[in-house]
Amino acid sequence: MLRSVFTKTLYDVRRSFAWWAAGFVGYVALIVGVWPSVRDNPALIRLHETYPEELKAFISFGGEFDFGTATGYLGAELFSLMVPLLLIVAAVGAGARALAGEDERGTLDLLLANPLSRNRLTLQALAALLAEVAGLAVVLYLALLAGSAAAGMDVSAGNLAAAIGSALLLALAFGGIAFALGAATGHRAIAIGVATAGAVAAYLVNGLAPLVDVIGSVRWLSPWYHYVAGDPLREGLSAGHALVLVAIAVVAAAAAVVAFERRDIGVSS
Amino acid sequence: MAVVEARGLTKLYGRQVGALDLEFAVEQGEVFGYLGPNGAGKTTTIRLMLDLIRPSSGRVELFGRDTRRDSVEVRRRVGYLPGDVRLYERLTGRQLVRYFASLRTLHDLREAEALAKRFELDLDVPIRTLSRGNRQKVGLVQAFMHRPELLVLDEPTSGLDPLMQQEFYDLLRETTADGRTVFLSSHVLPEVQRVADRVGVIREGRLELIETVDVLRARAPTRVEASFVGVPPKGAFDGLAGVREIERHGHVVLFALEGPADPLVKALARYEVIGLDSHEADLEDVFLAFYREGASRAA
Repeated sequence: MLRSVFTKTLYDVRRSFAWWAAGFVGYVALIVGVWPSVRDNPALIRLHETYPEELKAFISFGGEFDFGTATGYLGAELFSLMVPLLLIVAAVGAGARALAGEDERGTLDLLLANPLSRNRLTLQALAALLAEVAGLAVVLYLALLAGSAAAGMDVSAGNLAAAIGSALLLALAFGGIAFALGAATGHRAIAIGVATAGAVAAYLVNGLAPLVDVIGSVRWLSPWYHYVAGDPLREGLSAGHALVLVAIAVVAAAAAVVAFERRDIGVSS
Repeated sequence: MAVVEARGLTKLYGRQVGALDLEFAVEQGEVFGYLGPNGAGKTTTIRLMLDLIRPSSGRVELFGRDTRRDSVEVRRRVGYLPGDVRLYERLTGRQLVRYFASLRTLHDLREAEALAKRFELDLDVPIRTLSRGNRQKVGLVQAFMHRPELLVLDEPTSGLDPLMQQEFYDLLRETTADGRTVFLSSHVLPEVQRVADRVGVIREGRLELIETVDVLRARAPTRVEASFVGVPPKGAFDGLAGVREIERHGHVVLFALEGPADPLVKALARYEVIGLDSHEADLEDVFLAFYREGASRAA
């Protein structure tokens, strides 16, 4: 298992990955389990329909706010906030932990005494980040597939994959930013703090865009917009929006490689 | 060709000097002792050699190759023990050794096993449960396990008990007997005196002196301790060539002697001497003298 930085990193996160996966499965089971009683309760659905339009826009996930359909229900309960949020938290944590974590613990000194180029170290750590977050997305997808089938939900497997894929790309964009900040500064707190603040700000920009004209004009800047804009749960993945998210992650990764190659190790604390 | 060669090697942290204009060369097969008080720039120099930090100006070459440009190739041939050994707490010693061996594409772990046995280190317990001394041993094992041509060791004996220090000194001897080279930093004089062929002294980022241990010792004054029946009057030994009175404790007077002993012996003969003891100076005396000189020059 401990053959390379890539496998070593995955070995290190095996326990936290298991807990994350269990959490996702539990959360999906809860949401899906409640579905039959929501579906069969017209009063509850009507109550939701009386929400102000602004609130509906905030808590729906693309398209119409239709709490009475399985797609609308999953969109509101999972994809409008919780799924991308949890994936972002996992990705930002993993991104900050990678190089900055090793730098803070002081283990980079010994690791980089080995004949391993810094670029190679960065790329392997990035690959591990990708594998970890993508692995969580796969667990989430399988849980949703099984859960929706068990609860008799009428949702397309392909569109579920598209929505989770879109959330994965969003998480990788912010995870990549955290990784790059950690690679450049060696400080986990900076990486987590800035990336998280960015994610929250981007969420607000996208959520408030329909309500505030000024914000609406910069909505395209928010990665959250590109996550939701193609309405992946109903329409599948939109290549254009997905590419924007991929581009953010790739640019962050490239910046990480360049910054880490240049800087001094272990002098940031 | 020198194994290590620094030319104008400088590292500045803002306005603070880490290392300033270092010039030195370490030859194959020698133990080069890098001596200085804590914070003098020893670790900075070493981390520059490993390409962990980059020089502000100047350069350092290992095996005639630039540590920055040929970083990976250079590190393949070096074993490194950091001054403050930080290990992967959740791994066992064996897992750590295997991990680093993989990164080095080193398949034969017999040397690592032999080193662990030699230092009485249990490789199968998690590193987080190890004492400071045992962590140091893990660091030593990974530094020596691929039989590198150059060992860069930052305060290698810190945390080791005396028995293990002895084992380490033996290991150093075997290493240089193979024609391999050791760059060793220490703030402990007797250690450097014991293991090093040459010594570089660094202070406040500046390399103040490079000399062989033999020359340094030859330059050092001998210490002569004489005990008397009575107490010779103050000033009785002033003005003698090469003789300096250091201190008095009752009937005992301590001298530092440079050059021939004759003037002191003649002077002592005027009093009733009941004991006479002399011993070769250790480097401590040399450096005390050296630092006094530096201080008075600065003053």
